[in-house]
This record gives sequence, structure tokens and C-alpha cells, in this order.
Amino acid sequence: MPIKINDLEYTYAQGTPFEHKALKGINLEIPEGKVTAIIGQTGSGKSTLVQHLNGLLKPTKGSVEIAGFTLTPDTKLKDAKKLRQKVGLVFQFPEYQLFEETVGKDIAFGPKNFGVSEEETEKRIRDVLPLVGLDESYLERSPFELSGGQKRRVAIAGILVQDPDVLVLDEPAAGLDPQSATEMMTLFMNLNKQAGKTILLVSHDMEHVLKYCDEVVVLSDGQVKTQMPVHEFFKHPDILREIDINPPGIVVLKEKLKENGFEIDENSYSIAEIAKQVEGQVSKHE
Amino acid sequence: MDAIKLENLSFSYDGETPVLKNLSLQIPKGSYTAIVGHNGSGKSTLAKLIIGLLEAESGKIAVLGKELQEDSLSEVRDHVGIVFQNPDNQFIGSTVADDIAFGLENHCVPTEKMQAIIEENAAKVGMSDYLNAEPTNLSGGQKQRVAIAGVLAMEPDIIIFDESTSMLDPQGKASVNAQIRKLNQEKDITILSITHDMEEAAQAEQVIVLDQGEIAAQGSPKDIFTNDELMSRLRLELPFALQASKQFAKDGLLKTPYLSIDGLVEELCRLK
Repeated sequence: MPIKINDLEYTYAQGTPFEHKALKGINLEIPEGKVTAIIGQTGSGKSTLVQHLNGLLKPTKGSVEIAGFTLTPDTKLKDAKKLRQKVGLVFQFPEYQLFEETVGKDIAFGPKNFGVSEEETEKRIRDVLPLVGLDESYLERSPFELSGGQKRRVAIAGILVQDPDVLVLDEPAAGLDPQSATEMMTLFMNLNKQAGKTILLVSHDMEHVLKYCDEVVVLSDGQVKTQMPVHEFFKHPDILREIDINPPGIVVLKEKLKENGFEIDENSYSIAEIAKQVEGQVSKHE
Repeated sequence: MDAIKLENLSFSYDGETPVLKNLSLQIPKGSYTAIVGHNGSGKSTLAKLIIGLLEAESGKIAVLGKELQEDSLSEVRDHVGIVFQNPDNQFIGSTVADDIAFGLENHCVPTEKMQAIIEENAAKVGMSDYLNAEPTNLSGGQKQRVAIAGVLAMEPDIIIFDESTSMLDPQGKASVNAQIRKLNQEKDITILSITHDMEEAAQAEQVIVLDQGEIAAQGSPKDIFTNDELMSRLRLELPFALQASKQFAKDGLLKTPYLSIDGLVEELCRLK
């Protein structure tokens, strides 16, 4: 079942002088089992939108259909508890949310709250640890003595241990060094490819969007500006420039080559392919 | 004179595991140096040693020719400003103006002089319209620019940026990076930028690569990024233009690598 968002509106602090309309009528269908990027400037409504997906916020108007639930303005947020098992939300810098004495307790916090038995929880933790690249020696350590990247893995393990069908990731690689960022993204891609999880990725990193995502949704000023398959999307770098985001290097290279009279296949996204195409059009260095 | 000179610097947090090993380097005055390397390579530790937040186990640190010691600490700090990674952890004031004033107050700058200094430095980072804004109403990039203004108000000769853009969105990143280049070029401030962003490092005059507490390489961005053995051994990411250059060179289309897409395309045009 795809995720369906119908005429969704959300207003912060309604009826106060601080009233702010963050979402202004969002209509989206997000495919199941795919990786969908949600991009847009700071303040475009990305975070507000994703907080609806596991019922942290409920619509001011409109509805959200996800994982068998329908959220409307009348939904009681406490009824959304079950939804939070199905949809895991990883916030930006999740390492700041760790609070337990040990890594093991921190990961177990969710299942414990949902009434999962201790044995089952332990089994799940053992299954989840290798997925995030940690081993059992971490379980007894304090989360606060770990590095930033390790802490983030613990926080993510705490989400995965609930075995959600949908994973919503808000800038999961921000602030990591390039190697850790790649490892982090590979982890999520494995969860998508091998375990079939539907993934929504909020990201400012267009290289990641191009490399890892199937679909792109662009938000601008609380509305959907466009939704396209990723390779179609990057044929239109102007959409990105309109929202002040630099296109990935490969897209800029193609653009500049074309401007200078080279013929480049617009479906090519690899340097090797583009080099091949240029080869026939220039005289070689001896 | 060197802005910063390190001689045989060693440090460890626990007295056992060395974080910096006998490190020596010189940062010329007025230069723009990028320090790159993986997490745990000792980059941020180095920054903290230079401003005296940590004390070296052995070795010497000199800032503008003055050796860093307990009694010279405050004098040295007058010359060196630092902007950290997390915009939320370094915003101290209740408004932008208060935040910029914090260092001035500590230096007993008279109140009547303060307002002018605040306004001048807010203007330098493009935050003049926000003097009374509270931090909750600012974006990450804006907060980092306020942090820079606070540092500038102290008129430092050297500014260290410790992954200052890594938590920012693309616009925030671009605005802070533009600010860094401007300070270096127009105000002649020595810049030491600790970064994971290879596109930013490619803009620097010199790049220092740290690996496990030691200098793995030091040179111009071009020298560093075209050192294939080094880049692959340390699994460092290449700036995009260089990745592309390498492929084009492999196919016999280019002789030399390029650090910018413009340079690369220009050369291909010449061959057309």
C-alpha cells in the first residue's frame, strides 16, 4: 500500500499571534518499497510533513493514509501509538536523544514501552546490532562514551528494533565524515533492498539523492513543487536552482558540456559514460 | 612569521592512546589552510590544543611567535578565534547583539563603544537586520554567522573553523564558506579550517591531511587530491571535478587534472 497524503494542511500555534501555516495543501502518493527523497529549503515544511507520518503531528486539515492507518484532524494522537511501531522516524542528529545508562537499555526502550517480552527484545537486539554495524560488546557500554557516528548507530538500532515497515530519515548522514556517511547510507539501502522497507529520506545532499533514491519530492513554501523519478528530476536542474540548492556535480558537468556545444545523452549519470560520449567529439592529447 | 607553529606536539586523552603523535607544522600568516582527515584523526583535538582548551603532553605551540604557556594563554587567545560545529551550542546571548557582545564584555570594552562594534561586525556577516532576533528564530547558518561576528568583534588575527558548516543546510554552508574566503582575502585573517567537505578544501591555499594523529601529507589542493596513493589509502573522497578529470584522463582526453568543472570543460572545448 502506498502512502497517501490528501489535501494536508498544518498550522502551528493556531489561534495565537504566532500562528504559522507550515503545510498548505499537500497531495502526494509515495510508493511502497521504494526510496523517496524529500527535498526543499529550510522552512519549506519537510520536517512538519514527516512528523505526520508516524502521528507526532495530526493534520489541521486533510488526511494521511499510511501502514493501514488514516490520520485526520479528529484522530486522537494516543491512538497513533501502534502507528509508531510501523513507521520509524529517525530525527536529525538522533545521537542527542540517547539517555539510558547502557546501549542495550537504550535500544530496548521502545520494545519495552510497547510491552514486548524481555526475551523477545533481547533476540531482536541481537538481530539488529549487525544491521547497524555494531557488535554485542557495545551493549554494556554507556552511549555517552561512544563517538558521534557510533551514537547515531545506537539511536537507529533503537528504531529498527521495532521492525517498522516504513523508515523516515531526516538528514541521517548530516555531520558525519564522508566515509561514515557512505556506511550509513549503505545500511539504509540494504534495509530497503533486502528487507523491503519503504524509505523516505529528507536530505540536502543531492549526491546522495541521485545515488540512492528512486523518487524525488520537492517541497517549497508548504506545497509540493514537483514529484518525479530521480533520473527524470535531475534533467531539470533549474528546479533545484529555484530553491537555491546546487545540483550534483555530474549534472553540472553535463549542463556545462551541453552549453559548450557537446552532445551528451541526457540519460547518462556516470562520468565514464559521459567521457565516452565526449571522446568522439574531441581530438585526443597525444 | 608563522601564524601558528607546532613543534613535536603529542597528546592523548587517557595517557595511553596517542591522539596526536609528535606533530610539527607551520601555518603562514594570512594563509588559508584546510585540515582534512577521518573522524578520530586528531583534527579537532589539534584545534583545542592551539587555543589552549587542552594541554599538550609534550611539544611546543607558538602563535604569532608567542609560545603558548599558562601565563601567555589569555594573550594568545586574543589573537585566535574559533567557530565550532554546532550552532546551538555556542549561542550564549539572548539576542544576536548580546551574543556578539559577550566577548567584548569579558574584555571590559566600555558600553558606549560596544554598540558600534556590534553593528560593524553584524554588518560584516550580513546579520544587521537581526540584531534583536532571538536564537530560536534563526537558521543554523545565521547562528554560525553570528558566531563568526562574535569572533570578529575580538579582532583576531587567526580564526579556526572546526567543522563549522557540517551541520548547515546548503545555503548556510555556502554563506559561511563565502564568509571564510572573504575574511581571508579582504581582512587578511589567517584561516585554519577543519573540514570534511572536500569541495571546500579544494578552495584553500594549502591542505593538511591528518591520519591517526600524524600528518599524512601537506601541500596545495592539487598536489594532495592528485596523490592517488594517498587518497585511496586514506579512503578520502575526491572533489567531483577531480573524479571526472581522472576518468577523462584515463580515456586520454585530458593530460592534467582540474579542480573545477569550469576548468575541465574549458580544456575539452579547446580540443574540440
